[in-house]
Amino acid sequence: MSAKLIVQGLTHHYPDEYTGETVHALDAIDLKVEEGELVTVVGPSGCGKSTLLNILAGLLPYEAGAVSVDGVPIRGPGSDRGVVFQEHAILPWRTVTRNIGHGLEIKNVPKHVREPKVQAFVDLVGLTGFEGKYPHELSGGMKQRCAVARTLCADPAIMLMDEPFAAVDAQTRITLQEELNRIAIATKKTIMFITHSVDEAAFLGDRCFVFSARPGKIKTIVDIDIPRERRNWNDMNADSVFLAARARILKLVREEVADVVEE
Amino acid sequence: MSYVAKPGGASSTKRAPKPSLLSREGLHIFLARWRHSGFAYVFNILLTVVIALTIWSLISSLITNPGRYLPSPFVVALSSVDVFYKGLLPAYYGNTLTRLVLGSILGLSLGVPFGLLLGLNRTVSDMFYPIMNFFQSVSGIAIFPIIMIWWGNSEKTVFIVILYTCFFPIAFNALSGVRGVPLTYVNAALTLGASPFQVVKDVLLPGAMPNIATGTRLGIGFAWRAVIAGEMLVGREGLGWMIFTARSADLTAQIILGMVTIGVTWIILDHYLLRPFERSTIEKWGLVLR
Ligand SMILES: Nc1ncnc2c1ncn2[C@@H]1O[C@H](COP(=O)(O)OP(=O)(O)OP(=O)(O)O)[C@@H](O)[C@H]1O
Ligand SMILES: [Mg+2]
Repeated sequence: MSAKLIVQGLTHHYPDEYTGETVHALDAIDLKVEEGELVTVVGPSGCGKSTLLNILAGLLPYEAGAVSVDGVPIRGPGSDRGVVFQEHAILPWRTVTRNIGHGLEIKNVPKHVREPKVQAFVDLVGLTGFEGKYPHELSGGMKQRCAVARTLCADPAIMLMDEPFAAVDAQTRITLQEELNRIAIATKKTIMFITHSVDEAAFLGDRCFVFSARPGKIKTIVDIDIPRERRNWNDMNADSVFLAARARILKLVREEVADVVEE
Repeated sequence: MSYVAKPGGASSTKRAPKPSLLSREGLHIFLARWRHSGFAYVFNILLTVVIALTIWSLISSLITNPGRYLPSPFVVALSSVDVFYKGLLPAYYGNTLTRLVLGSILGLSLGVPFGLLLGLNRTVSDMFYPIMNFFQSVSGIAIFPIIMIWWGNSEKTVFIVILYTCFFPIAFNALSGVRGVPLTYVNAALTLGASPFQVVKDVLLPGAMPNIATGTRLGIGFAWRAVIAGEMLVGREGLGWMIFTARSADLTAQIILGMVTIGVTWIILDHYLLRPFERSTIEKWGLVLR
């Protein structure tokens, strides 16, 4: 069986409006993500991670290469690729339920079918009791849970997450990571997860793509062979496989950051 | 919403026996409830009105020939009986309100879509932004002369000026509202599979709503001034016309009556319709943290 997501020779330049020069953001990226896999992406700031994700989401046209999901080339945004943005992306004028059910509303799913589904996702992300609240009445962590549930509820083939937990406090972040792991088990979703946190990358990823500094290229792929069911923060801090993977990712990332600083 | 005391909302729950009103605690509770009740609000307004009326009466009793310069509230009230009796005020009031309502409805139904449409495209909206800003700043009264040259002393002239006066603030605010909607909201909807129409309906329109509400309140406020001025300049029957013609007959009481009607109408309109609309969008959108 072929992979869920295939990227071949993906290259992207941004034009710089002022200088007329171009920024080489991605350089001939090749990658594959299997069905049901959760891959994490780490790399120095500005190496093109968000660029990759926006291209996969269809929000940014790409100049060269090929990108396909289930063998279908990507041409623009679609509900088969759900995105969880870093922050401030759930609609402030919609309640929790109406945000989470937005994808179904867009597909014209009738209300009586929509409601039980939405409720299931509200419960899954632990927002029970907050159904009627507006985003400004939620904490940062709750907002991100709502954003995750909204994406899940639209039932995408792939979920793309761009540093979704970066703006929440450390404690909440750990909880959210464990929750996402639980959700990954429960929904068997294919997920690409971008992060700056090496801990997060090692904890969540079946594999971790480590990017080199700009122009972004995949430098190394680190396998993290730990069954999802065993992943929780109590055990991981003493798990030799986890610790080794984390140390390796950290070393690779630091080499890149050092290179950037030396430039 | 949770912070607003609902009248009668608390009475349904069982509570401990009430402390006597005469005790210190009882008095505090009574005062706190009073402050949060609708009565306190109305009472405060009434108090202000009474003070204003007293000052007015005082001045009127001190000057010579108050009938010509400043009739007392009582005389004004009497004159209202007179114009009501003749059916003049209700008819004129109706004319003026009809102009305002029709003009505002048309202004809204043209201005909102127009502003939204311009806001959709960055280049187009950049082009139109200064023009819209220009027209929303040239007041309705300032365009009367040219409209009168074009359409003469007609109902059309008044109506076009009203329409103009509310169209531009509404359209301009809708335009800047759309421009202010964060791109992430649009992208989020697109990745949920939204069509361009759904993006407008679910993201851009509601996202621009607080601005549209502000523009509506501004626009209708300007239009209310324009109707009165228009009736005077063009000579159409209405409140503005009433106070203008009253001048030539030295019917000062009638002039003041007209002014009071204009002001009170606006306060009611603003307080019960426009402000709640504006506040509800702004609060719901979480723009102001209560
Ligand atoms: N819209 C744009 N126009 C021009 N250049 C851009 C644009 N977006 C990103 N870039 C440039 O492309 C490069 C890659 O940006 P990108 O946002 O993909 O990095 P990133 O890996 O996500 O960084 P971070 O980890 O800080 O989020 C950066 O050097 C950035 O300056
Ligand atoms: Mg980024």
